[in-house]
Amino acid sequence: MRKALLVLLVSGSALFSGGTTAQRNATPPAHRRNFVACPIVRDTKTLPCWLAEYEGELYFLGLQGSSASEFYPPQLNHEVLVEGTVTNEPRICGGIPLKPLRISVLPELNRACNTLLPAENGLEAPAAVARRFSEDLRKPGTDISQREFIIPFDFDSDYLTFHTTRIVGEAARIAKAINAAKIEVRGYRATTWLSNGKQFIETETIADQRANKVGEILVGLGLPAAAVTVISQNEPEPYDGVTDTDKRRVTVRLFTP
Amino acid sequence: MRLALLAGLLGVLLFSRARQDVIGQQAEPLRWIEAGAGGTLPAEMYFHNADGKLGVLLTGGPIEMKGHAFFEPQGINPRGCVTCHQPSNAMSVSVEAIRERWRVTNGEDPIFAAVDGSNNPKLPQALASSHSLLLNRGLFRVGLPWPPADKTVKPEFIIEIVRDPTGVNLDDTYGLKGVNPTISVFRRPRLSANLKYVLSPDDVFNIKTGTLMAVDPETGKPASMNMMADARHLTLRQQANGAYRDHQEGRQGLLRREALEQIVAFEQQVYLAQSHDRWGGSLVETNGPSGLGPRALADGKIHVLANNNRDPVFRLFDAWKTPATMAKELTDAQREFRASVARGNDVFMFRQFWIRDAAHINSIGLGNPIKRTCATCHNTQMTGQDLAPGWVDVGTVNYPTWTEPPVFSDNAELPVFKLTCDKGAAPHPYLGRVIYTNDPGRALITGKCADIGSIVMGQFRGLAARAPYFSNGSAKNLRELVDFYDRRFDMKLTEQEKVDLVNFLSVL
Repeated sequence: MRKALLVLLVSGSALFSGGTTAQRNATPPAHRRNFVACPIVRDTKTLPCWLAEYEGELYFLGLQGSSASEFYPPQLNHEVLVEGTVTNEPRICGGIPLKPLRISVLPELNRACNTLLPAENGLEAPAAVARRFSEDLRKPGTDISQREFIIPFDFDSDYLTFHTTRIVGEAARIAKAINAAKIEVRGYRATTWLSNGKQFIETETIADQRANKVGEILVGLGLPAAAVTVISQNEPEPYDGVTDTDKRRVTVRLFTP
Repeated sequence: MRLALLAGLLGVLLFSRARQDVIGQQAEPLRWIEAGAGGTLPAEMYFHNADGKLGVLLTGGPIEMKGHAFFEPQGINPRGCVTCHQPSNAMSVSVEAIRERWRVTNGEDPIFAAVDGSNNPKLPQALASSHSLLLNRGLFRVGLPWPPADKTVKPEFIIEIVRDPTGVNLDDTYGLKGVNPTISVFRRPRLSANLKYVLSPDDVFNIKTGTLMAVDPETGKPASMNMMADARHLTLRQQANGAYRDHQEGRQGLLRREALEQIVAFEQQVYLAQSHDRWGGSLVETNGPSGLGPRALADGKIHVLANNNRDPVFRLFDAWKTPATMAKELTDAQREFRASVARGNDVFMFRQFWIRDAAHINSIGLGNPIKRTCATCHNTQMTGQDLAPGWVDVGTVNYPTWTEPPVFSDNAELPVFKLTCDKGAAPHPYLGRVIYTNDPGRALITGKCADIGSIVMGQFRGLAARAPYFSNGSAKNLRELVDFYDRRFDMKLTEQEKVDLVNFLSVL
């Protein structure tokens, strides 16, 4: 099926040449906390909390949820990339909340990441958001006006979550409804500007992997392979330490005849 | 002295009960059905086991076995489907029954066919030692092509054979270096019953992989992927043809169309569950737990996510929580047992522990670890499978959580494979890129490093009739099964909780 898709590789070097020199000489945004660390899980009387430490400070990442939750917790035995904005909100489970926040589990094993703390009085988890049942989330939409879809990904990952598969499903539904003549799937690779000033660049092939996966799913959902164009933008876009998470993505654009 | 007397009395009582059970079993004419023997399979059957009785229901009515493709040999060996899917054994086959067949037939029963009923087809077949995996653990040889037959699969790992006690994996005909390179793993046969639950598809998307679910070629709709231990066959027809070729040594490529349809039609109407307790009392009581007995399976709704306290996996056991709400005619022992079962259900549903390092559970967005319960993963109402495709590396087949002897042991029964994953491949989330296993499981089909050791979880029904448990038969009884989980997840179960869980599992 992959061969059936039209794969067009766009050379990123010409598009982004010279775009990063100024950034290398600048300082990462002070209100952001972009770092790689071992996650910490703290038990509570209710749901476990997830935390991570950076430069002696503890940050709250989120609560244990379900596969239908927006927040997918980290993994012990793996480091986590944390990308968030510091808030003035009260501490949760002892950690400073970061909002907005994206975390990415790094794929390689690190057995040093193994901290599980017991529940303690005074370190309570907030009430969990009422659980949304996956059946409700699986219902397709009815609107057909959308023409562009953005599918976000974790760092160095082409895994589609419960929520991001819904976006691809919606794109396919609308493409069929409007009888789209062309479906353009564009995969991107990104760099994260860490708070320590270093760049954290995704694997070279990740844009291909993301774009091909989404393209194959669209064809699998019944769109004609000849109408699906897959483009991989393998050169990372400029980074700024704030919107880097948005750049790890695949876009799907629908064109009518 | 008093103790000795008591022990003696207990011994007499136990002997009496064991003898009674054996006599009861011998009196059951369908206790073992030989392929081609003919006769009628009634619409409702009950079979004794150590925990009471198993009930089997055919919703389509009685079946004449003479000439029926499920009960007649189809290939060149004298096996039928029924040989390894016996109604008395919950449509699987227990080690107890296999040993009895060895004794009765002096090893001549077709179940011991060299092709997969022995450790290695080249061993002297008259010796019990050549069938030790079947006789000791209920395991049949499953030979799978490596690399996978599906040429679109690009393996992410290489396989080395580290230990080969059966000799089959290093054999120049049957092994990895043979003309048709093959990896032989050894697995338990799964239940061919309650299949409307097992075959119920989940979503268009497979939450385990973030890709599309495999499609049933017959309907064009998503398949459940929950039937086989490695999800290699998606439909009953595929499975029947696979079994015809691999287990019955069919030489025609595929089963005849009429035979195939007859097998599938039969399998779709079989429902089973434990039906009676060990005192002979029915588990199906007016106002009692509504999830017990085969009728509940036949009537139940499919695809119900039941990891909740409103409508739990095996429904509510409230009526058994206190003597006041139990049936009046029950003895004290029966009441005590039922209360234990109800507590066991609560342990299964609500007793939290840290679920950790289980690939395809922790790794699919739930986090590692998660503080949840048995029912988090075993969430499908009535069967206790996973509603999503249920392959999980729970640790039964991979080092270091397996319960097998050390790799270098001379007493080991199962092969050990060393799988080394490509540097560019996504590693197994908790074992990395070098993994020792006695069954690569789903990974033999997908070629993916992350799938090594993942096995599709099985049903929880009819457990009392079909020991041993787990795909590799590593738990001889329900207590060993519970002990495995207690150790694997550091559950810190009390002795009472273990007893309650075992009793609970025994009534399913």
